[in-house]
Amino acid sequence: MLWVDKYRPRVLDKITVHEEIAQNLKKLVSEQDCPHLLFYGPPGSGKKTMVMALLKEMFGASAEKVKLEQKAWKIDAGTRTIELELAMLASTHHVELNPSDAGFQDRYIVQEIIKEMAKNRPIDSKGKKGFKVLVLNEVDKLSKEAQHSLRRTMEKYSSSCRLILCCNSSSRVTEAVRSRCLNVRLNAPSAEQIIEVLELIAKKESLQLPPGFAARLAAQSNRSLRRAILSFETCRVQQYPFTVNQAIPPLDWEQYVSEICSDIMKEQSPKRLFQVRGKIYELLVNCIPPEIILKKLLSELLKKLDSELKHEVCHWAAYYEHRMRLGQKAIFHIEAFVAKFMSIYKAFLIATFG
Amino acid sequence: MDEEQLIPHADELEWLETNSFLVESEGEDDLPFIAEEIRQDDGDLPFSAALPRPHESQVSRKRSWSEEDEGSENIGEIIKREESGNKRRALDFLEREQDEDWLRYSPPQKKAPAVHIASESDVLMVEPPVKEKILSRFAVEIEGDCVPVTGPYGDRVYAKMKSSKTDIEGPKKQRKEHLKYGLLSEPIGIIIKKLDHEAFAKAFEENDCLSCHQTHSEVPTFSEKLWVEKYAPCSFTELLSDEQTNREVLLWLKQWDSSVFGSQVRSTTDDVLSALRRHSSPVQHKRFSGGETFFEQGRAAPFTRQSLKSWNADKHIENVNGFSESWSKKATVDHPLEQKINASDDRSSLTLESKILDAVQIASVTADSKPKCLVIDEIDGALGEGKGAVEVILKLVVADKKAKVEKPNSTQQSLSEFSSRRGKNSATLLRPVICICNDLYAPALRPLRQIARVHMFVQPTISRVVNSFAECDIRSCLNTLQFLNKKKETLNILEVGSQVVGHKDISRSCIDIWNKIFQNGKSNRAKSSTTNLNGHGDFEFMYSLLSNRGDYDLTMGGIHENFLRLSYIDPMMIKTVTCLDMLGVSDSLHQYIMRTQQMSLNAFQPPFAIAIKRLIALVDKPNIEWPKSIQRYRAMSLERKDLLKNWQSKISPIISRHLSTEYFAEDFVSHFLHILVPPTLRPIALHLFSEREKDDLAQLVDTMVSYSITYKNSKAEPLKGAHNNGTAKDVSILILDPPIGDFINFKDYQPTHLELSLAMKQVLLHEVEKQRILRENSGRSLNPGNECNKDSQDSTITKLEVLHDIITKSASVKGNDKPRLAMLKLENEDNHKNLNSKSKKIVSNTSVTAEVTGDLKKPSRPISFFDRFRQGCNIDSKNHVSNLQKAATAERDSRPFLFKYNEGFTNAVKRSVKIRDLLL
Repeated sequence: MLWVDKYRPRVLDKITVHEEIAQNLKKLVSEQDCPHLLFYGPPGSGKKTMVMALLKEMFGASAEKVKLEQKAWKIDAGTRTIELELAMLASTHHVELNPSDAGFQDRYIVQEIIKEMAKNRPIDSKGKKGFKVLVLNEVDKLSKEAQHSLRRTMEKYSSSCRLILCCNSSSRVTEAVRSRCLNVRLNAPSAEQIIEVLELIAKKESLQLPPGFAARLAAQSNRSLRRAILSFETCRVQQYPFTVNQAIPPLDWEQYVSEICSDIMKEQSPKRLFQVRGKIYELLVNCIPPEIILKKLLSELLKKLDSELKHEVCHWAAYYEHRMRLGQKAIFHIEAFVAKFMSIYKAFLIATFG
Repeated sequence: MDEEQLIPHADELEWLETNSFLVESEGEDDLPFIAEEIRQDDGDLPFSAALPRPHESQVSRKRSWSEEDEGSENIGEIIKREESGNKRRALDFLEREQDEDWLRYSPPQKKAPAVHIASESDVLMVEPPVKEKILSRFAVEIEGDCVPVTGPYGDRVYAKMKSSKTDIEGPKKQRKEHLKYGLLSEPIGIIIKKLDHEAFAKAFEENDCLSCHQTHSEVPTFSEKLWVEKYAPCSFTELLSDEQTNREVLLWLKQWDSSVFGSQVRSTTDDVLSALRRHSSPVQHKRFSGGETFFEQGRAAPFTRQSLKSWNADKHIENVNGFSESWSKKATVDHPLEQKINASDDRSSLTLESKILDAVQIASVTADSKPKCLVIDEIDGALGEGKGAVEVILKLVVADKKAKVEKPNSTQQSLSEFSSRRGKNSATLLRPVICICNDLYAPALRPLRQIARVHMFVQPTISRVVNSFAECDIRSCLNTLQFLNKKKETLNILEVGSQVVGHKDISRSCIDIWNKIFQNGKSNRAKSSTTNLNGHGDFEFMYSLLSNRGDYDLTMGGIHENFLRLSYIDPMMIKTVTCLDMLGVSDSLHQYIMRTQQMSLNAFQPPFAIAIKRLIALVDKPNIEWPKSIQRYRAMSLERKDLLKNWQSKISPIISRHLSTEYFAEDFVSHFLHILVPPTLRPIALHLFSEREKDDLAQLVDTMVSYSITYKNSKAEPLKGAHNNGTAKDVSILILDPPIGDFINFKDYQPTHLELSLAMKQVLLHEVEKQRILRENSGRSLNPGNECNKDSQDSTITKLEVLHDIITKSASVKGNDKPRLAMLKLENEDNHKNLNSKSKKIVSNTSVTAEVTGDLKKPSRPISFFDRFRQGCNIDSKNHVSNLQKAATAERDSRPFLFKYNEGFTNAVKRSVKIRDLLL
């Protein structure tokens, strides 16, 4: 098993990065009931880990006995019946799923699944009906309609089930849903925290980790703990007795983006833009989210840019990212940003060097 | 007072008496007269006075009847009635206008209502108990509501508005009835419609007169007839289309003369003629078609049509195909037509068939002596749904052909016999059929094309269409002209250009549209030179082009795909930026429209494309490609996601729940590939590894198993390879399974991770398999649910022994392959089914497992099976193995072994291995 998964804390007590939050959650659970929860924070900050630990705290070891179910849903939506299949993880106490997989029909799924859960509630040892927990991942990708339908069902079935929502940005969760949940923000771990975790792992693996190297790993991880651990393991595999200056293998797609950037810097013309388009398509095909591409593109470009242009370029990046979220075809907008950059940069070059 | 009143009253009465006679005498033709009046009135005042008329006439009729009934003696009574009617009328202020109208056209009665009020007092005195309360000079005397009425001499009385008298009740009831229908006998809508029709007919007549007399055409509003119809060419010479085509069609039509008129005379025998004469139609062709109907009735009608189809059966149906543009005079070419069927309107084949048969077989009832020529318009439209039209026509034609073929054979037969046979062919074609379509190459027209003569109508040249501006479509030209004429504006070019009305819905293909966007080509320029269109007109043209196409998603996709390939001059990338901005806005608009379903906003889509055209259009022809990349991107990323999903489902949920697609693609895959390929792993024999290396390997294998990743032979068909005795060339390429390496396999990109050597991969593959089996076993033995009861266990034991024997045997058969490593696997599994499925799961490129499963599926031939087993035992090299295994099974309480045989696995160091060592 990879270290990322191997050393993932399984109980709330062992969580080190967001220790305080973990303790608070523990107190919350100890009162036998808890409100709906909304966890949000950047990727790699430990949301899911926290959720799993929380479930274990609630239901004990049985929460870990999960199985994957491909459940086919038949939903009667007024005039038509919708049939769709959705993979979900289920234990006796909770159900975990990605409602955004259902695409535009997500709101039916959300309602239906909660209703179904309300129907068959587990009965605890005292004969009381317990509640089930529904873990919804990527809530921010849910459509507005689904989120609205969520808030109604949340109230209606609040006696029988609890929702744990996970998302990256709470700003894309409607106010109505947010206000019905206890919001828990898990911020990205700081470099120190990452180093701490890395050292812990090194100790358990009985490895010698030079402090400087750990700092470099943490710095390169972009404050994502799992990325740090992954690259730590990669380095371990590449070369064991660690040296401080050991090369940390870059992410391939990031490498590719920086290649694109150097392409852009070399020549600014429609023809070059056409080549860039092909490369961006390559990234998109391989499931890299367009926002991430744009962000990386910007940060790579900024590295090479004269400081007086940085502000303008940032502005346009934000502008086109906004457009991208409004639209549907990400390629248009990324390309528009690249074209805009080319235009600005070329004007700058001509102004500077004549 | 009374006397004063009486004197004029007597005069009045006298006058009224005569007048009543007058009315009486007019009684019979009173009603028609009124009706006529109404009609005339309507012509002048179609809306104001017309509405309540029918009711009025009814009332007046009633009145006249009542006068007839009671005669002239009881004038007072009449007056009373009149008065009551009048009173009622006075109440209904709605009907006031009607009253006036009525007064106007029947002046003699005008006085009556005025007069009788004066006489009212008289009447009151005659019948005091009845009339007491109805009228009074003082309002106080009247109970309830009253209305003031003034006589011609200024006398004022008050009339009671309601009365319970029986004679007043009648009209009241009537009124109630009327109220039900909104005061009128007929709904007002119908009346208005009627009046409109009348007015229209009148205007139409007038117009006809005007055109007949060739008087001023300045009277503009009366030409209700569409110009398209009005100025449709009446003769061949007026046609605008190609001369040659016109002549050909005319010639073709002429060719029919022989069959329709000429030959029939020649070939019809006398008795037929005599029979036909009974139908007594003066004109030749009519007689002929009469014969047809007669023939249909099943009576002996022995006429032959020797030369009927002699000239050319293949020209039987003519497709007048003008598919370039609609209405290039296709329909007008055939003017001597009498029956025209619009095939696209009569969709069902059944109705069409009956119509066609009607047209072909039944004579025109009208007296003009022309035979029918069947014209089927929009035949391609008929195919869209009905599909039957062409079949019907084909059936008709084929029937004729058959008849023609049959004819030589039947010459010797008696005529009656022949006719009876023909009688079954109810549908025969004796008339030319002309089909008109827009698209000659519509798939359903294919059969028709083979039998029909095809005339193509090309777009009339611009010189021919003098006034053409609307895309050379004459019909829309005319419509536009008429529209403009209605507005009584002088025609100038700009206005004509700006007429959106003139443009029909022209939808073009996407490629056309992209061409138009990217090219400021000749076609546009030529058009603008002829019609002197400026940019405005161009905008209109493009707008209608784009909005008629509609599919903005695709249109924009095509623009995006192609515009960077154009070599427009753009040193500062400003045009490019603007174009992409346009595309971006269009995209977000599209998304918005889709989300909110406000399709009307689509009207704002075309300007984006037009703006792009303004920026980058060139003169030379662009090389347009169909936009595939977005489709490709969507399909590919879906494929990748599916792959990931499948993979996730194989991994245990504890790990896979954290492995979202984004996380995988962003962070995971690069590192994972690095981890999978440790550079420290040397391709040497396992036992030569140092402790650390062994640890590393163990960890790697552990990782691979828990993430359920392995290597697989990229050359598929492992079973086949096994049957070929496992030649080494098949093993040449081992790739990761699932192929997660693809996720970083970008174009023009050299992945940073290394590649393991083949040997190492094989070692790993083997180790992973081993590990996986071990894990599954341990998992299963831990799993209490899989235990089964004793008796089934017994039966499975025997089977497993058999299985075990097969394994040994097949191993011995394969002995010449020199297996370097034989692995015996302790199988804890008791359930036969589980074993079977397990053995399937074990690396499938070993022929052993394949044979095992194969043989287990065929338990019906145990004899040969045991024979082979004995043979196998004879081979001494493997004897001890099987013996040992047997001992082991005995020892271990019939716990079976699974023998795994790895082919093609090379290891540098050879070493003899004892099975014993492998058993734990």
